[in-house]
Amino acid sequence: MIEKLTPSRVIFNIINYGILTLLSLVCIAPVWHVLMASFSDPRTMMATPGLFKWIVGKPTLEGYRIVLNNPSILTGYRNTLFYVVAATLFSVVMNIIGGFALSRKTKLKKPLTIMLIFSMMFSGGLIPSYMVNMKLGFVGNPLALIIPGAINGFHIILMMNAFNQVSSSYEESAKLDGAGPLTILVSILLPLVKATVAVIVMFMVVQQWNSWFTASIYLSSRRDLWPLQLFMREILVQNDTKMISAAEAASAASLVNNLVKHCVTVVGTLPILLLYPFAQKYFVKGITLGGVKG
Amino acid sequence: MSKSAAQAVKQKRKRSGTTWKHDIRLNWSIYLIYLPIFVYVIIFNYLPMFGIVMAFQEFKPTRGFLGSKWVGFENFIKFFSASEFPLIMRNTLVISILGLSVGMIAAILFTLLLNEIKFSWFKKPVQTITYMPNFISAVVIAGMVIDFTSSNGIVTNFLVKVFGIPRENLLMNASYFWAINLLSGLWQGLGASSIVYVSALGNISQELVEAAALDGANRLQRAWHITLTAIRPTIATMLIMNIGSLLYVGSEKILLLYNPTIYSTADVISTHVVRMGLEKMQYGYSAAVGLFNSVVGTILLVGSNYLSRKLTETSIF
Repeated sequence: MIEKLTPSRVIFNIINYGILTLLSLVCIAPVWHVLMASFSDPRTMMATPGLFKWIVGKPTLEGYRIVLNNPSILTGYRNTLFYVVAATLFSVVMNIIGGFALSRKTKLKKPLTIMLIFSMMFSGGLIPSYMVNMKLGFVGNPLALIIPGAINGFHIILMMNAFNQVSSSYEESAKLDGAGPLTILVSILLPLVKATVAVIVMFMVVQQWNSWFTASIYLSSRRDLWPLQLFMREILVQNDTKMISAAEAASAASLVNNLVKHCVTVVGTLPILLLYPFAQKYFVKGITLGGVKG
Repeated sequence: MSKSAAQAVKQKRKRSGTTWKHDIRLNWSIYLIYLPIFVYVIIFNYLPMFGIVMAFQEFKPTRGFLGSKWVGFENFIKFFSASEFPLIMRNTLVISILGLSVGMIAAILFTLLLNEIKFSWFKKPVQTITYMPNFISAVVIAGMVIDFTSSNGIVTNFLVKVFGIPRENLLMNASYFWAINLLSGLWQGLGASSIVYVSALGNISQELVEAAALDGANRLQRAWHITLTAIRPTIATMLIMNIGSLLYVGSEKILLLYNPTIYSTADVISTHVVRMGLEKMQYGYSAAVGLFNSVVGTILLVGSNYLSRKLTETSIF
C-alpha cells in the first residue's frame, strides 16, 4: 500500500523513528559502557562520570590480563562449558524421545500427556524438590545441574507437535521394511524436525550458560564445581574481589577491582552475545511456536 | 464426503476397538522408549508433590516424610501471623502487578510503534537490539544495576544532577527498590515480550488494512480497530499466563539485588521461602509458604482463564 505523506504523517514518522532509535540506544548503552570501561584506564575512569561513549584514558588490557590469568575464572569457564554441553545433550535427547513417544498413536498417549501437562501446572515447590534431590545425593554433585532440570514439559510438547506434523507416509515404507521405532526416529523423522530441535537446543544453551540459582543451592560448598555465573556473582554482586586481586598492592586494589568487574562482565557475557545473532531466529520461533516460553 | 466419513468411523472403531493386549503387542517398543521419561517425571515432578506433606510437619530430613512429627496447620498459622507477613504479601503483589501491567502495556505500545515502520532496514536492527538484553544473565544484570546505582554510579549521578536527590547508594534506600526492579525488568524484557505480539500481527490481512484506509479510517482508528483486535487473543493469553504466575515474582533478580536494609520493600514470598528454607533450614515452614504460593497461583490461573473464556472467548485450557 502506497501511502500519501501528509504533514501529520511526516511528523508521526519522525517521532516514531525517534522513539525507536532512543529505545535501541537505551538497550545498548549500558552494555557498550561496560565494554568501553573494560579497556579504560582505571584512574581516569574514576574521575569520569556518565556513560562512556569511548574508552577513557590510555587503553589497557590490564583487566583482561588479571581476569584471564585467574584460576577461579578459568575453573568457572571450564565447568560452565561442561554443564552447557552435558545438560543440553541429555535434556535434548530426553525431550526428543518423550515428544516422539507421545506423538505415536498408542492407547496410553492421552493419559501420559495429561500426566505431563499436570506436572507443568502444579509443582511441589522449591523445598520438597530440594528434599527429593538431597535424598538422591545431588547436593554437592555436579549432576544436580544436569539431571533435575532436563525434562521440560514445554519442550516435549514442542517436539510432539513437530512429530505430529510430519506426514506418516514417510515412515510407512520404513515400517514395511521392518524398521523399529528408534530407527524410524533417528533416520527418518529427526532430519524433518531439526528446526524444532534447534529451538530447544538454543533455549537450553542460553539457560544453562546464564543459570546460577540451582548451582548456588546444590554446589555452594564445592567451589571447584562452580559454574562461571557463581564466581561472577561473588565478584559483581557480593563485591568480593579478594580472590582476584590478592596479589595486587592494597592501594591499587580498589582501582583495579573496578576495572576487573567490567572485564569479568564482558568475559562472562560475550560468548552468549556472539551466539545471539545466529540464535535469534530460533529464539523467536520457539516463543512463537509455544505461544509463550513458560 | 460420505466415503471419508465412513472411513473416519471405521478408523475410530478400529482405535477404540484395540484391546490392551493388542496395543501392548503393537506398541511395547514405544512404551519402552517412554519408560525413562515416565520414571523421571514421577521422581522429579510427582514425588515433590507428595513431599508437600512436610508443610504439615515439623520436618527433619533425618526422619524423612514418614518419621517427622505432624503439626497440622501450625506452619501456615506461623506464616500468616508473622510480623513480616503483611509486608511480604504487599511487596509480592505490588512488584508483580507493576511488572505485569507496565510490562504488558509497554510491550504492546512498542509493537504498535514497530508496526508503523515500513522499512525493514530499520525495523530488523531495532528488533535485534531490543531482544538482546534478554540473553544477558541475571547475575550480570544485577551486577550492572548495583554498579549504576552505587553512590557514584551513572544512574545516581544522573538523578542527583537532574532531580537533586541526595547522593546515596540507591539499593540501600527501601523507597527506590520497586522502581529499580521494574525498570531493570523492563530494560531486559521489553523486546522479548513484544515477540508474541509482533508474530500475531504477521497474520493480519493487508487487504483489511487497505479497505479500512479507503473507508477513511485514520491511523489511530486503524491501530485501534484492526491491529489491536488482531492481537486481542494474544493479549488475553498472555494476561492469563501472567496472572497465573502473579505470586511467582522473579525471585532470582531480587535475591541478587536485595539486602537486609531494604527487606521492607524487597522481600517477597519466593525470597522468603529461599531464606527460611535453605538458609535457616526451616523446611516444614518454607514448604508451607511454598504450598500457599502454589495454591493461590493455581486458583488465579484457573480463575483468570475462566474469566477470559467468558469475556473474550479466549482461554488456554
